[in-house]
Amino acid sequence: MEALVQASQDALSLLFSGDKELWEIVGISFQVSLLALIIAIPPALLLAFALAYGQFVGRRFLIALFSTMLSVPTVVIGLTLYVLLSRQGPLGEWRLLFTQTAMMLGQITLAFPMLVSIGHSALQAADRRAWETARTLGASRLRALLTVTYEVRFGLLAAVLASFGRIISEVGASMMLGGNILHHTRNIPTAIALETSKGEFAQGIALGLVLLVMALALNVLLHHFQGKGYVGS
Amino acid sequence: MTKLQFQGISKYFQDRHLLQEISLPVWQGHCTLLTGANGAGKTTLLRILAGFERPDTFEVQTSLGLLNWRQYKKTLSSRVLYLHQQPYMFEGSVWANLDYALPRHLSKLERAERIEEALTWAVLEALANAKAKNLSGGEYQRVALARAWLRKPQILLLDEPTSNMDQEARLRTVHLLGQLRSEGMALVVASHDPDYFSSLVTDHLHLNQGQLLPVPLHAKRDNGNVTTLRQSL
Repeated sequence: MEALVQASQDALSLLFSGDKELWEIVGISFQVSLLALIIAIPPALLLAFALAYGQFVGRRFLIALFSTMLSVPTVVIGLTLYVLLSRQGPLGEWRLLFTQTAMMLGQITLAFPMLVSIGHSALQAADRRAWETARTLGASRLRALLTVTYEVRFGLLAAVLASFGRIISEVGASMMLGGNILHHTRNIPTAIALETSKGEFAQGIALGLVLLVMALALNVLLHHFQGKGYVGS
Repeated sequence: MTKLQFQGISKYFQDRHLLQEISLPVWQGHCTLLTGANGAGKTTLLRILAGFERPDTFEVQTSLGLLNWRQYKKTLSSRVLYLHQQPYMFEGSVWANLDYALPRHLSKLERAERIEEALTWAVLEALANAKAKNLSGGEYQRVALARAWLRKPQILLLDEPTSNMDQEARLRTVHLLGQLRSEGMALVVASHDPDYFSSLVTDHLHLNQGQLLPVPLHAKRDNGNVTTLRQSL
């Protein structure tokens, strides 16, 4: 118990003293995950929209496929991309393994099905009259899409925040694809895993606190926006 | 356009032949009243004309020649405006909802002028800054008609425009529809309340078992019996 208290005190000290290494790890985490999310959102939203409003062969299969992909373990995604990106793999010539780009690819692969699946649910629950009214009032498909997106923005924001929470805290894919290299590919979850395996808990607790505060902030943000969406407000 | 002749419109729902080779002429400045029992296919027919529902067979004779469904959707459906039974209001004010109906190329000043005119036309001046989603049913309909007035379509399709309205709101709606008709718009109104539209209607068609049958004006079908229409509201 005493060790835990001491580790927690050290963790707070690391956080508030502005420990360079610790905040660099936090920075890499946010940089990689935010970029991965920004890259994944537009195609995922378009696909979610096509699944919600389109009528084409294989639509139901795709919906089931993306729902299934939500439960694929991150290490399996890490392993698949590792095989593809390793020197003997078909994408080995890209020399991306153990880079931030490889981590980003892993996180995009993780975020994409979540954005599609939750985004599709939000768009499907949207009032179909929104799309039809936009179209009948002369809006182009793109403008109608943006209009409906705005109408269901809280549902879509939930998809974005849930996806961000998933990718910034995943350890399997980042560890396998990034290699946990200090100053380059070490992010919050891989650093926590390493420090814990060494028996050094202070930095792990400090980074865990950052993740917890971030999760709390994201949820407060979501509830704040949802509160504004109240019909009577 | 002085006349569009829709013809051969068929629609199956599973085994049910909902619309059977329907022909429907639509004249500029005319008001066609569609009546029929619940589930007779009035809404489906309007949605096909609006381009929202794909028919099994469809042709339309226009000044451009005979068009099929795909050609109609591409070339003419932008000149058709469909109003849902309960019109959809976008997030934001009445002003913003009216603004949505205006062409994008208009300047800010032109937009403001036209919106002011529309507000006056639909007696909505006091509600310009009100949140559109908080309006009453009658006010919803007036905003929707004001959007149509701004959009100036060649054909206005209305699905039960006076349902769930009090007497005053119904009279206002019919009055506004009369103005739209006198401006040359072709109106196609599906309604269970034919009496309310007696002052507007130039053609009355009754949909029964997939067939569209003409009904002599000043007479209506009432439980299978033909009775005299009320001449005024």
